[in-house]
Parts: sequence; C-alpha cells; structure tokens
Amino acid sequence: MIHLKNIEKVYRTDTVETLALNNITLQIEKGEFLSIMGPSGCGKSTLLNIMGLLDEPTKGQINLDTQEISDFSDKKLSRFRNQKIGFIFQSYHLINDLPVLDNVELPLLYRDVSSAERRRLAAEALEKVGLANRMKHYPSQLSGGQKQRVAIARAIVGQPEIILADEPTGNLDSAMGNEIMEILENLNRADRTTIVMVTHDENMARRTHRLVRLFDGSLVSSNTFVN
Amino acid sequence: MLNHIFKLIWKKKKSNFLMMLEIFVSFLILFAVWSLSVYTYRNYVTPAGLSTDRVWAVYLQFNTDSDSLRRINCDLVSQYLKGNRGIESFAFSSSNLPFGFSTMNNQFEYGGKSVMSDNLAVSADYPSVLGIQMLSGRWFTAADTVGSGKPVVITRRLAAELFGKEEPIGKRISTDRRVVGVVDYFRHKSSFQADENALFEPMNIWDNDLLVKVAPGTDAEFEAQLARSIQKLGKDWTVEIQHLDNMKSTQDKTILIPILILFGVCGFLVFNVGLGLFGVLFQNISRRRGEIGIRRAVGATKKQIMRYFISETLVIATFGVALGVFFAVQIPLLNVFDVEGSVYFWGIVLATLSIYGIAVLCAFYPSRQAAVIYPAVALHEE
Ligand SMILES: Nc1ncnc2c1ncn2[C@@H]1O[C@H](COP(=O)(O)OP(=O)(O)OP(=O)(O)O)[C@@H](O)[C@H]1O
Ligand SMILES: [Mg+2]
Repeated sequence: MIHLKNIEKVYRTDTVETLALNNITLQIEKGEFLSIMGPSGCGKSTLLNIMGLLDEPTKGQINLDTQEISDFSDKKLSRFRNQKIGFIFQSYHLINDLPVLDNVELPLLYRDVSSAERRRLAAEALEKVGLANRMKHYPSQLSGGQKQRVAIARAIVGQPEIILADEPTGNLDSAMGNEIMEILENLNRADRTTIVMVTHDENMARRTHRLVRLFDGSLVSSNTFVN
Repeated sequence: MLNHIFKLIWKKKKSNFLMMLEIFVSFLILFAVWSLSVYTYRNYVTPAGLSTDRVWAVYLQFNTDSDSLRRINCDLVSQYLKGNRGIESFAFSSSNLPFGFSTMNNQFEYGGKSVMSDNLAVSADYPSVLGIQMLSGRWFTAADTVGSGKPVVITRRLAAELFGKEEPIGKRISTDRRVVGVVDYFRHKSSFQADENALFEPMNIWDNDLLVKVAPGTDAEFEAQLARSIQKLGKDWTVEIQHLDNMKSTQDKTILIPILILFGVCGFLVFNVGLGLFGVLFQNISRRRGEIGIRRAVGATKKQIMRYFISETLVIATFGVALGVFFAVQIPLLNVFDVEGSVYFWGIVLATLSIYGIAVLCAFYPSRQAAVIYPAVALHEE
C-alpha cells in the first residue's frame, strides 16, 4: 500500500541543516496497522507527512497504491490526499473560525458530494467519536481531547483507505485513549483500513500489528506482534 | 461552498467590514469616473450638426455707431466676398460664432412653459456655410423678415422641450417668434458639448461677424490677402480671421484637460485603494496559511485554494458594491444632474466590473503565493 524507498529529508534553514530522515525504506501492506515510536525530534511527524503527501522528500521514492507519486500533478496529488488518506495531526489543525461540523465536512467539500450528504456523513463521523452533541461548537470551545476527536472525525469522514495518525491519543486520558484506539482498530478490522500511528505509548503500540522505531531519522528496529 | 464562505466572512466581520468600506469608496470614485467618461464619450459621438471644414471665422468691427453706415459696410463686404472666387459661401452672425468664447442665451416661452436656449442671430446663408441639415421645415430667408413675427429655426431638442410631441412648424413662441424650421443637432461649443437647445433668428443690423467657407486648397497666403482686402474696404475696421477647426480644438482642450486631471487624481486614488486592498488581502491570506495548509491536506488543489480566496474576496466586494450602488442610484433618482439615466446605468456597470477586476487582481497573487507551498510547510508555520 505504502512503499518508501531510500527516503531522505533535509530541512535547511539559514543557519542549520537538519537531517530529519535518513535513508528510510519501509513497506506497509494494505490492511496493516503499523505503529511508529521514537524520541521527540527523531522525525516521526516528518515521516508521516511524507507518507501523507503533505511534504516532499529531499530524496527517495514513494509508491502509494502501486503508483509512483513523484511525477504526480497537483491535481492528482490533491485527489490522493482527498480520497485515499485521512490525516490526524499531532496538533489537531482545525479551522478555528468554523464550527465542528463544518470542520469535519471539510474533506467532502473537495469531493462531489451534496451538502445534505456532507452534513449527514459529518454527523455520522462525529457520532463515532462521541461528539454528536458538540456539532455547533467552535474549536475554541472544546477541550484538547475533544479537538483531537474532531480531528479524528475529519480524518475518517471520507472513508479513506489509509489513516495516518500522529499521536492520536497523546492528549487523552487512558479511558478516552482506549476509545480512540478502539475506533482505529475497528476501522482497521472492519474496513481493512491501512493505519500508520505515531505513539509514545508502548501499550498502544502493542495493540498494532507491527512497531517500527525511529532514532535520529533512521529506522532502528521493527517488531511484529501477533494479536 | 458559498454557505461555507459566508460563515468565514461573518466570523471575520471586523476586518472584512473595513475591506468592504474601502471597496465602497473605490466604487463611488469609479462610478463617478465611469459616468463622466460615458457622458463625455456619448457627447463626443453625438453628431455635431455642423461642419467646421474650411470654415473661417472673420471677426469684423466697423467701429461705428451709425446703423446706416453698418448696413452700407455689410453690403460692401458682401459684394466683395461674392466676387472672391476663393470664397464658396459666407454668412453674417451675431458674435457667438461656433467654438468662440462668446455665448448668448435667452428664455423662450410657449404655453406657459419657459425654456432656456442658446440664441443665435444669423443671415440666411448660415446653414450652407456650416453644412447644417434641416430636419423639417426650412431656413428663414431675407424675404421672411417682414412677415408676421420673426421666423426662427430651432433644434429638435428645443422643439421637444417646448412642444413635446406636437408639430413645431408654425408654432409661435414668446409671442413675436414663429418656427419655420427644425434642425437635428447644433453642438457649436465643443466636441464634448452635450446636445443643448439652440434657436436661430434673422440677424440684426449690429450682427456683423462673419463665417466664410473657403474653396479647397486655399492657403495662408489667401488668408492674409482676405484680411487685407476686407480691411481696405473701410477705414478703422478691425479684421481678425480664425479657423473654426482650430477654435474647436482649443475649446476641446479646455474641456478635456480638467477631465484628464480629474481622471489622473481618481486613478491615483483608486490605485492607492487597490494597493491598500492588496496589502490587506496579502496580510489576511498570509495569516491564514494554517487554514490553507489544512485545506490542502484534506485535498484542495492549488486552483481550488485560489478560487476559494478569490470567491471570498468577490463576496466581500459584492457587499461594498451593493452599498455603492445604493448610493449611486440616488443620483439619477433625485435627478441631481441633467443627464440621461443610462449614463449612470453604464457608470454602475463599468464601476462594478472594475471593482471585481481589481478584487480578482488583488486576491490572485497572495492566494497563489499561499497555495503553492506544501501543506506540511504551511501547517508548520501555524
Ligand atoms: N519545517 C522545519 N524546518 C526545520 N526543521 C524542522 C522542520 N520540521 C521539523 N524539523 C526538524 O526535524 C526534526 C524532526 O522533526 P519531527 O517533527 O519529525 O519530530 P517528531 O519525531 O515528530 O517529534 P515529536 O515527537 O516531538 O513530535 C526535528 O529536529 C525538527 O527540529
Ligand atoms: Mg511529531
């Protein structure tokens, strides 16, 4: 499903050059639930961004769904982001000037979906994350955990084949974290959604199929769990 | 999508309100400029009703108080001009020659109505010198003068103002004048003069300025010769010859230059407002990089991002334009100036189009700037 080959990412600023990812090769199969762990600053978000087509690697090759994406047009890239990928950001990234329901609808706005259908799907997604009663709220009126759940609802509303989750349970208490984990597990099991999740929680990682560890931009180990 | 745009505009009503006000002010300026342009252009393309080609104005002063002497002098000049092969035709006129600096007007009455009109006292050959075409009736002749009441020729516009749809020929105005003919237009003040009322009546004994139509190919030599010859006909006469073409372009300049200055000032104002708008949009859009990153991340193309911001700007512009139109339509409704309503209509249409054009231009660059960056980079900046 996702094939990364010799991915390198260098961030250049005026003063420093950071090698955020160093020669990463990783294959993720369809229906796999993969977790990524590693110390802060080791490049986990960077890796996820590259998988999610939100950033381009400095070097290397990405195949998504057997297609090499490096020569994709903007239109095609956007369509992939829109239809194949659901992204859950570490810091939520909600549009603060829009109510919760509109935030969740957002991916559908760039699809050919009627507004009634958009509302319905968004409400459904919010129900799944237990926020049906907060649809008219603005993000500023929500707690961190609630925002996280809105971000999850937005990621799943379009029923993507791949969900990339950057610490989706990082801001939640264990009960809530568990619920989110169950949502993801369910998507993975029922819809064969491919999921890549960054986490700091060893227990969460254990519930996935495979764990890869990142250190200073390099892959250092890979464990497969039998669940 | 529009619903979505409205929500975001409403959330940012404060900064959007300022933008709307700027657009409102620019709209009013553009409305004034376009209305004036349409008005001026329309006047310019309206038929003049007279031709200045090869027509010269001869300002003549006999420097005498004696009416009988004037009559003799006029006959003298007539005879000389008739005998001059370089002169195709000529006519006497009151001092308000076309495109000159002197004007004369009068109130004329009919059926209790009183209408202001230019008043020209001319001889019978006046229309042939200036190529004036009759719309109906005829020009007055020398024989007419003794009839009952002064025979007069009026423009179509004056006829309409005095008589409405009634037949003008034969009507008496201001008790002692009788309409014998109607001409279509007589725009004798400049190329940009609006169609105004004019009334021609037979010349008086003191109306001894001249218009002459010269034969093709006459040169400066001929002009000097003509001036000298007329001068020699009497003593103490002053003769001054001017070409109607030149007089016309002088008049045109006195009208056009202030308009151009006004346009320059307005252009400068609108340019500044546009620049301000550009700055505000640039800042607004840059501040919304995070939002753009999110939209891009969930699948918006660069084009959709640009279209989105341009639409948003156009929606805000529409509010400013709507407010502007509300004020603009008051001018024709209250009849502030004596100008056709369609001039304002086009002023509004063109100002609206200009505003939209400016808005699209101002939104285009900042939104493109914001759309081309990678979503992760945009989000990182949030
Ligand atoms: N836009 C950027 N410009 C410059 N350097 C960056 C940029 N984004 C990330 N980096 C650097 O790249 C490295 C990896 O960052 P990344 O965000 O991927 O870490 P992470 O593993 O997600 O950390 P955390 O667990 O804290 O979220 C860090 O050293 C960071 O400073
Ligand atoms: Mg991170």
